[in-house]
This record gives sequence, structure tokens and C-alpha cells, in this order.
Amino acid sequence: MTATTVAKAAGGSSPRRPGRGVPAILLSPAGLVIAALTLVPIGYLFFASFTDYDKTTLFTGVFHFVGFQQYASVLSSSEFWAALVRTVLFTAAMVAGSVVIGMGVSQLMLRLGPVLRYIVTIVLIVAWAMPNVATSKVWVWLFQPGYGVVPWLITKLHVFGDVTQHDFTNSFWGALTIIWALVVWQAVPFIALTLYAAQTQIDQGMIEAARIDGASEWRVYFSITLPFLRPTLGLMTILSIIWDFNVINQIILVAGVQVLRPIATLGVWSYLTAFQSSDVGTGAAIAVITMILLLAITSVYIRNLLKSGEEF
Amino acid sequence: MPTTKTAEQRMTRRRRIRWGSNITAIVFAIVWIFPVYWMLNTAFKPSDEVMSATPRFWPSRLDAANFVAALAQTSFLQDLRNSAIVVFGTLIIAIALGMFASAALTRFHFRGRKFILVVILAVQMLPATALLIPQFLVFNKVGLTGTYIGLILAYVASVLPFSIWVMRGFFLAIPVELEEAAAIDGAGTWRILFSVLFPLVTPGVIASSIFAFIAAWNDYLTAYVFMSDSKMYTLPLWLASFTTPNGGTDYGAQMAASVVFSLPVVAFFLFIQRNLVAGISAGAVKG
Repeated sequence: MTATTVAKAAGGSSPRRPGRGVPAILLSPAGLVIAALTLVPIGYLFFASFTDYDKTTLFTGVFHFVGFQQYASVLSSSEFWAALVRTVLFTAAMVAGSVVIGMGVSQLMLRLGPVLRYIVTIVLIVAWAMPNVATSKVWVWLFQPGYGVVPWLITKLHVFGDVTQHDFTNSFWGALTIIWALVVWQAVPFIALTLYAAQTQIDQGMIEAARIDGASEWRVYFSITLPFLRPTLGLMTILSIIWDFNVINQIILVAGVQVLRPIATLGVWSYLTAFQSSDVGTGAAIAVITMILLLAITSVYIRNLLKSGEEF
Repeated sequence: MPTTKTAEQRMTRRRRIRWGSNITAIVFAIVWIFPVYWMLNTAFKPSDEVMSATPRFWPSRLDAANFVAALAQTSFLQDLRNSAIVVFGTLIIAIALGMFASAALTRFHFRGRKFILVVILAVQMLPATALLIPQFLVFNKVGLTGTYIGLILAYVASVLPFSIWVMRGFFLAIPVELEEAAAIDGAGTWRILFSVLFPLVTPGVIASSIFAFIAAWNDYLTAYVFMSDSKMYTLPLWLASFTTPNGGTDYGAQMAASVVFSLPVVAFFLFIQRNLVAGISAGAVKG
């Protein structure tokens, strides 16, 4: 994003007439790779979703067309609707958590001296940069029954009783809460730093003038800062929805075996169906449905990008 | 004078806000860094202090035993080698193809350009399993699962669209006058590409290389599905399946492994923050 913005600010450049055939030569290697490795597989996904492809097919190569049967059985199973509702609610909770905290942190950073701001920035970048396989393992360790530091700290609060032996990652709400916190923890930095960068562009004279006129800090935030941040905030929200909808690693690495299926989102469910139960056809049908849902959201993002005057 | 009084009140109010902000920031920083601190704390503890009912917030002495257990007593070197092969294979292919493609998409006018850009953007947002399931089926059929090249191709598919998108910004930042000057001096289209444009997008190449590195280095799911032979496991699989020779999870060693695995990525992120923004704006000013 930064790169394109800077490019536009620098005046950009108008592409010129082709030396004949050159763009085709330049594009074809990447085009072939994207077509062969992405577009063809997506086509194959649709194809597989109309078959009874399963474990034996992997060895024998034999499968049959079953028409819309996979879709019919997926859409009529209560497991699907539960997973759909769970995915939507869980995504909404993660997006809301990261955007709200991100807004708060960006506002906070504006009010700090250079030293503290630098510390907060470094903390954010480190939390952001950690690979999610590593953070998933670290968080499981944080909540480890018997030895985890977080249950120990919670117990010290003397509000919830002794929870040091509680198996958080193997309880429905425990696993959901830990995964939520883990995802939000790593999502906040990007949002906070981007919003902070946007907020530094606000004309401070305007804010100062509002303060002199007696506006409260809240009033300043809601009447000046928020309207200014709206486009950035919209973009952050859509990107968060896409990313959080697709969270898989954290769920399969943190959730204990007993709760993995009960808390599975659509993405995790299609993964488990296709690869653990080897019902590839069913998994493909779930993936197609998930993809269509996500595409509906993505199209909003792409339309916004096109509308924002981005020069193509 | 009423005005000075309110000005004073405002000053004290601002000062109070400042104190409030500072304390909030410190609390926030402590909470947010805590998991990382706890990972480091655990990793550097002597093994017998890792599992204690009352957690120790500081190692009694710095001990490398966990690192020895994580690196020397596991398949670390083999998995590191596998990761290196896959990551650098991905990098080279994705960056080369991405550079050509984004040159075509920024420096030339042709029919269908906009459509291609929209496809590139849309492809990036496919759910992971939507791509993983059919890729597995197709690759399995042609014998690419369980091979380095298969994993590399899967990563190229996920990294290439993004690389094109990132480098596109750097190409757009190059003023068209430079190209015109080269053309006047008699350089042909290819000469302009290789002698003028490609050298100028070096910061873009670095930026997208880092992103591609991180994506391939971090991937767990694709490697898990594709690689059945544990001799070909990459580091994320090594980290996820961390067990000691005697079967249980050695958390001290696992945290040490997490530190080692995260280190290059965290270093890259800090590096990007410092130099990349400066690099982009320097490029813009120079133009």
C-alpha cells in the first residue's frame, strides 16, 4: 500500500506504447504459473466438489460424479450451519477486537513522547513479526495446565478461584478465548501502526483550534480524527475480515483434540474433512461455499480499491 | 483574566492526560510483549526451572541447555536445510517472474491489463483450503507431493501475485522521463528494461523478497499436507511436532526452538521498518 501511495505522490508515470510483443513475453511466465498453479486447481476444486472423491480415490484414482449431492448433504447438515454461524461470529469478534484496540493504540501513540512511542512501536513490530506456528506454541505453553503462567496469574487475582489445573485449550470457551486473544494480539500491530501513520497526516492546527474552542478530547476524536480516518479504517476492517475468516493455523495448533471439531470454523472444517477424514469431495464442496462467501466480501474490497482512484 | 485561567486549566488537563497516556502505554507494552518475554524466559532457564508450579519470572542463571536440546538432539539441521531449499527456490522463481510481470503491467499499455490486475488481486484472497485441496489432488496425480519442487511451486503460487503487486508500486515510482532519455540515446525496449528499469526497482525486489521469504518460511499447513516423509519436513513442522526422545513435550526446548525459528523473521521485520520506508521515499525524491 505504501509503495503505491508513494508512487502516486511522486507523479507516477504514464505507461508507454509497447515495443511489439514485449509485454506478452514479460507476462507469460508469471501468467502460466498463476494459471497452472492457481486457476487450474480452482477449476479442479469445483470439479472435485461434484464427485465422491475420497480416501480410496487417492490410491485407485476411481471416483464418480454425484452431481450436487455433496452440496446437498453439506447444506442440509446442522454441522455446516453451526460452523457458518461460528465462523461469522468468531470473525466478527476478532475483527472488532483488533480494530478497536488498534484504534486505541494509534490514538495512544500520538500522545506519547519519542522514547515511549519507540518502545511501543518495537513491541508492536515484534508481536506482529512472530510466525504464527511459534506463537501458537508459545500460547499453548502460557496456558499449560499445572505450569502455565497465565492460569497462575489469574489464580493470583483471587476472583475465579484456583484455575492452575484447568485445561484451557481443551475446553470449548477456553480454546476460543485463547485463539481470539492470540489472533487479536498479532493483528493489532498492523492496524495500530497504519492508523497511526494516517493520524500523523491530520492537520494539528485544526485539532488545536477545536481544543481552544473548548471541544473535549472525545469530541475532537469523533468530529475530526474519525472522519479523517474513515477510508483507512474501512480498508483495515475489510482486510481484517478476509484474514480472520481464513485463520486456520492458530485454530488447529492451539485447540486440543477434544474441542477442535466443536470450534472448527468453515476453513478448519473443510481442511479436516478433506485431509483428516479424507472425504475430499465433501471438503471441496465446503471450500467452494467458503470461497464464494469470502469472494462476496473481497469484491467489496476490490471495488473500493478501484473507486479510490487507484490508477490501473 | 479569565482567558489565562482557562489556558492554565487546559495545561494541567493536558499534563494529566500525558501522565495517563504514559502509564497506559507502559501497561500496554508490558501486556503485549509478555508472551515474547515468557518465550525467552522459558528458553533461557535451566531445564529444571521450566516446569515449576510457581512460575519463575527470571532464570536463576542463563542456561543454553534448552537450545542444545532443541538444536542438537533433533532433526534441526536437516529441517533447516529443507527449509532453506524450499524458501530460496520460492524466492528466486517468484521474484524473477514477478519482476517481469510487474514491468509489463506498469510500463506498457495493452488490452486486458486492468483485468489481469483484478485477477491478481482476487487470487490473493482465496481461502487457504480452497487452493490447498485441489493443489494437493493435482500435485498428487503428477507426483509432485512429497518433493521440494512441489512445495516450491505451491509457495510460488501463493507468493507470486503479492510480489507482482508490491513491485508494481516501485515500477510506478520510476519517472517515464528516464525511459524517454534512454530511448533518445538509442536504447531499445529490452535494453531499457535491463539497464534502466530493473536496476531501479532493487528496493522493490528486496521488499518482495522479504515478504516471500517470510511467507515460505512460516508456512505450516501446505508443508504438513504435502510432505509425508519426515526427512523432508521444514522448520514449521519441526517446531509444531516438538517432542523429546522420551515422548513428552519438552517445553523448554520447544520455546528455545520458537526463539530460533522466529529470529530471522523478527529481524527482517525490524529491518523493513527502518530501511524500507526510507528507501521508498529516497527513491521517490530521486525521481
